[in-house]
Amino acid sequence: MKTILVVDDDKNLRRLYREEFEAEGYRVVLASDGSQALEMMRNENPDLVIMDIRMPEIDGLEAMVRILKDRGRLPIILNTAYSSYHDNFLTWAAEGYLIKSSNLDPLKQKVREVLSA
Amino acid sequence: MPVTDNAMGSSLGPEMSASGPAMERRIADLTVLYEVSRALQGTLDEDRAFYIILTGITHGRGLGFNRAFVLLPDSSGEFLVGRQAIGPSSPDEAAAIWRELRDKRLSFGEILAQDPPPERKDFRVNSIVSRIRVPLSEDTHPLIRLMQRRETCLVSQGIVQPEGWALEPALTDLLETETFAAASLFQSGRSLGLLLADNAITRAPIGIESLRMLQIYAQVASASLQNMQLYGELMSRIAVFENANRALRDSHERLLHAERLSTIGKMAALLAHEIRTPLVSIGGFARRLARKTPPEDSRREEIEIIVSEVTRLERLIEEVLGYTRLSRPDFAPVDMNELIRSVLSTMRDSIDKGSVRAIADLGPGLPDVRADKSQLRQVLINLIANALDAMPSGGVLTIRTRRDGDYLELGILDTGVGIEREDWGKLFTPFYTTKPAGTGLGLAVVSQVIDNHKGSLRLESVPGQGSTFFIRLALDPDRGNLQPESPEVVHM
Repeated sequence: MKTILVVDDDKNLRRLYREEFEAEGYRVVLASDGSQALEMMRNENPDLVIMDIRMPEIDGLEAMVRILKDRGRLPIILNTAYSSYHDNFLTWAAEGYLIKSSNLDPLKQKVREVLSA
Repeated sequence: MPVTDNAMGSSLGPEMSASGPAMERRIADLTVLYEVSRALQGTLDEDRAFYIILTGITHGRGLGFNRAFVLLPDSSGEFLVGRQAIGPSSPDEAAAIWRELRDKRLSFGEILAQDPPPERKDFRVNSIVSRIRVPLSEDTHPLIRLMQRRETCLVSQGIVQPEGWALEPALTDLLETETFAAASLFQSGRSLGLLLADNAITRAPIGIESLRMLQIYAQVASASLQNMQLYGELMSRIAVFENANRALRDSHERLLHAERLSTIGKMAALLAHEIRTPLVSIGGFARRLARKTPPEDSRREEIEIIVSEVTRLERLIEEVLGYTRLSRPDFAPVDMNELIRSVLSTMRDSIDKGSVRAIADLGPGLPDVRADKSQLRQVLINLIANALDAMPSGGVLTIRTRRDGDYLELGILDTGVGIEREDWGKLFTPFYTTKPAGTGLGLAVVSQVIDNHKGSLRLESVPGQGSTFFIRLALDPDRGNLQPESPEVVHM
């Protein structure tokens, strides 16, 4: 069973993503901000990270950069309410960049694509 | 009014002590100068000033010449041209004019204060003066020489006195006289023009006293002319400053307006982002609930409503954010027909749901247009969505493409309710909407995108019959010189 780390500072969204991705057959671990995500990386060894960008203290982009330094090829999907980060070249390092939507199908599709590759 | 040489001294001054007719003559001359300079002070209009000057020269109670001409550099500063003239063409005409003036019983001052009569094209002097045109650089030309001489002189029988050089017949033929007085107009060492005066009708000799009087008269006229020119320059500089000031004020206001809009835009973007996260929760959980609720459960429909309303809100937010981030387009070759087919297929559901028949009337073999594909896609989506909204009980939607030289023309036609004339002007304003659930951004986005592409947008609409949006895009917008229309939205 593949493990997905979901990083989001919104409690409700964490719950939604956990339920939806568990229903898809993944093990889901949650982090509420960047620093917690870095901690989880050591203990949970996820296969994929779904990362919010705008979070207090260590934001999603910084967390992503630190994770990629440690674990070079780990796929990270940025999932944010903001389209403006698209201009930030750091986002090019991510496997995907999705705008948050109540319709999770595109995100699930992306996760399937990445994990089956 | 022939004047004899012996009545004339070297200047006006010493003659003041003379007695009898000479004294009266001096007083009359001074009166003329006084009346003329007073009349000149009352005007800042050049044509009126020349009328006063020329009337003073030709009037019997003035200098009493038959005809007078004023010659000035033209606005380009390259030619000395005839500007105005006064005088009869024949003794009969002269008699008629003088009779008329006498009958009006006007004083000399009153005559000067009159408005100039409308220029009579049939008057010979006007036809003569309009033909005088000499390059200022041609300093061997007699008129230029006379102007630069800076004193008054007599030309008698075509010979300039006292130097004795001759005028060519062409000039004397044009002026229709070989004898005339020429007074240079100059001030502060600068040549302003030339006054010519003659007695071509009565053939009366031009006495030295008349010449001297003309010289003093020319100085009065020069001072007044220079005043007017300085005044004109001052006014044009003031106008420049006023224009600059107005432009500054305008751009300040535009800046404030842009700042307000930009603040509204930023606020809208901030709000939209903040709203998006809870919407994902609401909609996401509603979708979960819907999946877990069997279709026969009455709650299923209510949950579906939550899902669809959240989806609508998310689309609305996308529209707001889309408008606030519209920036420079990313140009690449776009196959417009293919783009239209793709948009129509993604909107197929809404088209069918609205009982609308969609016709893609796409011009065959259209070349690619250099454009931002995603921005054009948004334009098509917005215009088609509008067309569908305009046909609540069904209709025909036609999308038409045609090539027109270096342009591509796109038409989106509906058979809907049409747009009321008074709404046309506001259609493209952000946040303006006639729909209960609209953001008022759809057409603002369209207008902004077409603007970004230096294209033009035109609306035709008949209330009750339908609307057509025409879009005209340059196949290659970078070849800007081919773009005859302004990038402004054209409202018809």
